[in-house]
Amino acid sequence: MDREALLKALSKPSPYGPDVELSRFNLGPAERERIEEKEVNRISSRLGFGKDLLRKADYLQVNESILSRSMREKLAERGAVVLPTSEALKKLDWVKEYSWRLVRPDTDKYTAAASLYSNELGFFIYVPPGTKIKDPIYTCLFITRRGYAQLLHNIVIVDDGAELNLITGCGVPDQPIGSLHVGISEYYVGRKSKLTYTMIHAWAPDMVVRPRTVVRVGEGGEYVSYYVIYSPVESLQTYPKVYLGENARATLNSIVVGESRGVYDVGSAIVLEGRDSAGEILSRNLGRGSSLIYARSRIEGRAGPSRGHIECLGLIDDDNATIESLPEISSSNPEAILTHEAAIGKISEDLINYLLSKGFSEEEARTAIIKGFLNIEEPKLPQQIREVIKRTIEYIASRATG
Amino acid sequence: MLEVREVDVAVSGRRILTNINMDIKSRELHVVIGPNGSGKTSLLNAIMGLKPYEVIKGSITFEGSNITLEPPYVKAKRGIVVAYQLPPTIKGLTTGRFVEELMKRFKVEGSYAEVLSEILEVKDLFTRYLFDKMSGGEKKRLETFLTLLTKPKIALLDEPDSGVDIESLNKMSEALKVVLNRGTSIVLVTHSPHMLKLLREHITVVHVLYGGTIMYSGLYDEVIPYIEKYGFSGALSQFVRV
Repeated sequence: MDREALLKALSKPSPYGPDVELSRFNLGPAERERIEEKEVNRISSRLGFGKDLLRKADYLQVNESILSRSMREKLAERGAVVLPTSEALKKLDWVKEYSWRLVRPDTDKYTAAASLYSNELGFFIYVPPGTKIKDPIYTCLFITRRGYAQLLHNIVIVDDGAELNLITGCGVPDQPIGSLHVGISEYYVGRKSKLTYTMIHAWAPDMVVRPRTVVRVGEGGEYVSYYVIYSPVESLQTYPKVYLGENARATLNSIVVGESRGVYDVGSAIVLEGRDSAGEILSRNLGRGSSLIYARSRIEGRAGPSRGHIECLGLIDDDNATIESLPEISSSNPEAILTHEAAIGKISEDLINYLLSKGFSEEEARTAIIKGFLNIEEPKLPQQIREVIKRTIEYIASRATG
Repeated sequence: MLEVREVDVAVSGRRILTNINMDIKSRELHVVIGPNGSGKTSLLNAIMGLKPYEVIKGSITFEGSNITLEPPYVKAKRGIVVAYQLPPTIKGLTTGRFVEELMKRFKVEGSYAEVLSEILEVKDLFTRYLFDKMSGGEKKRLETFLTLLTKPKIALLDEPDSGVDIESLNKMSEALKVVLNRGTSIVLVTHSPHMLKLLREHITVVHVLYGGTIMYSGLYDEVIPYIEKYGFSGALSQFVRV
């Protein structure tokens, strides 16, 4: 795409979420800086990843500095590759075929900015055919600089018959930072292969976050995602889209905890393109403070037979919070069976009373209800990932009652 | 053990129960019967201290302590637990996880949980969300199980039999006998003659609640045959004659 068109796209707002002036952020390359391990650990513990992330993470990028590549050699023995995208594009010629193919650079101002100014920072992961990497790969994208635009481009390719469990944590220290995070993610799941992708976000009240994710799943492949955001933001808007081939499966889980005055516009979309494909979107939204949550979800049935289901639940935990649930199902094939259910409510006295009668204090009852509400049982996720999510949910629920 | 003395109960300032007296000792089974709207559920909830029921007169003591105004969870910790007539669905919280939590909270031995879950046939429900997408009978069996799982000193059971088939009633009665033998006392609100017959030998006393007050308390043979023959209002006039 020519530079002229991209420069023009820099002023193109997204159809969703508050429009943000990019001029607020420094889009240019950053100066080299010293990153304190203490700071990395602070963000890591907010994400539930524990300490020692510098040694544990397979890919750790803080601002524009890439700090950790611990597993790279071990993975290389099995033919897997974890590289900064810029390096992958230079070293592996074929990667170009996968770059900016699922996400158009001129989609909106954020994709255009990433295309123009990211210098292809971000992670690239390739898993060769038949290789099953059971231990999760950790990729971490942190920001510690003020007024900064972290622009990323991630590419993941899980080749035919392969498997990958990927955990990505994005965050900032628990303090005002006034930065922008844009992550372009293009994920390719091959024939009969499987990608489980967990993303946990921990931001600050003045952060602007605009991830852009598109996934293509080949015949008989499977994609399971689990997204958790539980910190304040200024605004966050994302609408990942998954295209399913024949007999492919996708389950998209999301947990959104709205805090203070943040705007959270979180969507999920599945396109059933292949026969016998099936997709499910499960979303849990907890409104606190005076946050505003838009919970969007859409399943398109283009092929049949195929199945799709949306379950979108909202819980308002503060009189000033607002949740808008917008489930959409659209079918152009009579053999596509699509359903949805959506509900928004508050923590009912009846539930609290019930738990009181079983020995829970009022605080414990609220915590248990919130924990239960946020807990999407996802048996397809590996145990280690479920542990991370469990810790995160416990952390969120414990904060419900201070 | 549990003494209810001259208790009046109000909801939003309106008196709904008057001059309730009960004296429940260890291993006793007290049955509360009465027509719809007579205040049976209110009685159990008021003993438990659940909102919006308010004890406005009299006292409730348990093992010598005045517990009239204690919050429900403190009473539960003391060993008084109520089983809901219509337990609410808690989506997202699996039954299995809730069972684990109760076992931890009340220090329940695995063998005890095993015996109860086998009698009440609830194991298949553990993977489902609490009371979600369950039949009436499944909900009743599960709620009875969860209540008895806490090893209560006094279990307050609110119509565990309504909408339940004969087979489930038999299981429920069997479970109640097990806990009675372990030393639990039970206050049972019921409409089921079948369940009463199954538990007949264990029944200490039958209380007839009518118009918000206990009109008569007596042994099974002194009460149930009359209710069956004359109905509540007819039987009450018979009791007065007795």
